[in-house]
Amino acid sequence: MFKAEIRSDTLKSVVNIISTLIDEVKFTVDQNGMELKAVDPAHVAMIEMQIKSGAFESFSADNTEIGVDLDKIKDVLKLAGASDVISIELDEDRGKLIFKVGNITRRMNLVDTSSMGETKVPQLDLSASVTVPVSELQRGIKASESISDHIALTANEAGFSLSCEGDTDSVDLVLDKSVLSELEVKSEVRSIFPLDYFSNLVKAVPSDLSVTISLDTDFPVKINFDMADGNGNVRYLLAPRIEND
Amino acid sequence: MTGTAKFFDSMASYNKQDTSSGLCVLCKGSRNLCGKDRCPLMIKFYSQSKTRPLIDAKDLVGSSPPAVFVGRYGYPKVDIGPLLPPDLGDTSEMDTPEMWVGKSIDSIVDFRFRLVRGKYRIDAKNFRAAGRIVDQVQELALTEKPVDVEANFSQKPRGRVILDDEVQPFGPSARMERMRAANGRFERYLERSFYDTDMKAVDGVINAYRNGTLISEIQKAFSVGTMGIDKNRRFVPTRWSITAVDDIIGKDLLKTTKFNRTIDEFRIYQWEELDNRWCILMMPCTWRFELIEAWYPNTTWNPSGKSISILSDHEFFDGRTEYASIGGCYYASRMAVNELLTEERRTAGVVIFREAHPGYVMPVGVWNVRENVRAALKMKPFKFDSLEGAMSHVDKVMDIPRKTWIANSGVLRDMMIQRRIEDYL
Repeated sequence: MFKAEIRSDTLKSVVNIISTLIDEVKFTVDQNGMELKAVDPAHVAMIEMQIKSGAFESFSADNTEIGVDLDKIKDVLKLAGASDVISIELDEDRGKLIFKVGNITRRMNLVDTSSMGETKVPQLDLSASVTVPVSELQRGIKASESISDHIALTANEAGFSLSCEGDTDSVDLVLDKSVLSELEVKSEVRSIFPLDYFSNLVKAVPSDLSVTISLDTDFPVKINFDMADGNGNVRYLLAPRIEND
Repeated sequence: MTGTAKFFDSMASYNKQDTSSGLCVLCKGSRNLCGKDRCPLMIKFYSQSKTRPLIDAKDLVGSSPPAVFVGRYGYPKVDIGPLLPPDLGDTSEMDTPEMWVGKSIDSIVDFRFRLVRGKYRIDAKNFRAAGRIVDQVQELALTEKPVDVEANFSQKPRGRVILDDEVQPFGPSARMERMRAANGRFERYLERSFYDTDMKAVDGVINAYRNGTLISEIQKAFSVGTMGIDKNRRFVPTRWSITAVDDIIGKDLLKTTKFNRTIDEFRIYQWEELDNRWCILMMPCTWRFELIEAWYPNTTWNPSGKSISILSDHEFFDGRTEYASIGGCYYASRMAVNELLTEERRTAGVVIFREAHPGYVMPVGVWNVRENVRAALKMKPFKFDSLEGAMSHVDKVMDIPRKTWIANSGVLRDMMIQRRIEDYL
């Protein structure tokens, strides 16, 4: 059983955050909320997400799994204004998910989750972590986009930097200690990441939030943030590029 | 063959600056990148072939394979018309590239140059205004078997020879005043989309392909405005239609293959034809595709370069949004690879290595890529457990060392430097 009501802007950010990596996903639901773990098709990035029942206007559920096609939910969102409340109900007998926006009812087939295996999450102990307003990262990415296809993230005692080096041009975004609400570094760490992925992840984060970046040398980066007034938590993981000549 | 090679050499001095700057290999005679009105390399070749014995009359009767040609210069005002040889009988081989694998360049060029192109100027978007000739060209394109055609030209066909990297070569041409064609039976699935004026062109192409219609036949029907929703129908230049059909079919196959299970091992398929050497690498990973072409000095599109020109285009899982700089070959090979993946119900990451050696002096059209990739994929593959193993096999087969391939490859470089989530489990 699953029945919930959610504000359309909350649902919209949830959908955007996931669909930047993958379109068909499986939510695991229990009475406290729902969660999801998924890897993108190229296995370069993954997302873990928890949404507590508090993020919903109303929420009641038993343990179940719901497979959805996020493209279809995007269609539903187009029907709603930002403050509208969308109600969602699972019809297990017919295998359908039912959305109600005002006087419109949209029924959609569930996606078969039997072929979606359990996603394993790497256990990583990353030595550095910084907390930055995501809008700063978004600016850094905007500056990097035409320069190269990869970026380097560096954290040291002085602060955090994002740098992008192309054949002829380069860009650096330096955020020193004073801008960062948190900085924990043992020694300098640096990893290189594909820009298109990093950019898609960072752009999917609502721009008024702050994110915590966990980093190490030649290890994946973890981007962690809370949303929906602390009722939702998202962890992205992005695998690095390692040049070995 | 050596004569042709010598002739290309002699052109080096004529056109040194542009060819050595590498522009020609990008332009392939079609985009006038050197700034000249027409491609000097091509013109020289045309003039040489003018001396060929010609069809010396203003009227010509022959069995069209059946074949049609739609020009692209001046689009939407383009020249359309039949291709017909001065021969009667079963000429179907002349316009069925599916039958050409294994033939030498000389024999392909020989029979292609017999095809005379009749030209009739129409508006591609408003073709119905042009009347009877349009109907006859459409009918010709839909017909299954060779058709006897009579054409009346306004002057004797002149010995211009069309060479193009996408379009199969053909012979002299002349402006046409009238044509008459015998009746023939239409190809069943092409006929269906011809009469169904509510069927989208994409659906028409896919439907015919799934029912086994040859790609070269679909492409002909596609180019003469016999597919698509009624008001959208138009003539499509032959060159564009070839790529369009390859792209439509490739994308359609990909919709399914992308989500199949990956293959279990690294594979190499190898093949050699027309002095082109092919190695096709398939990797057990999600869909990605790359075509890397190495043109040796003295080959068609690198006539005077001192070094090998290497070009590549690739896409990752989400596909590409810009037209591939390599051109139609990219789409043709992507389609061919997906045919195999469809048959095996698997997916893979694919990199195609192509070396065009000096014996490849003439462009013969995109079919060369499509049919030879298909042929290569019918071979038994060599199997390996690692990319390392597969690449050392490539090293053995190809002249160009692995380091150079990797330096020019987006997909291989990504494969080697980009880590995956499972590497950290």
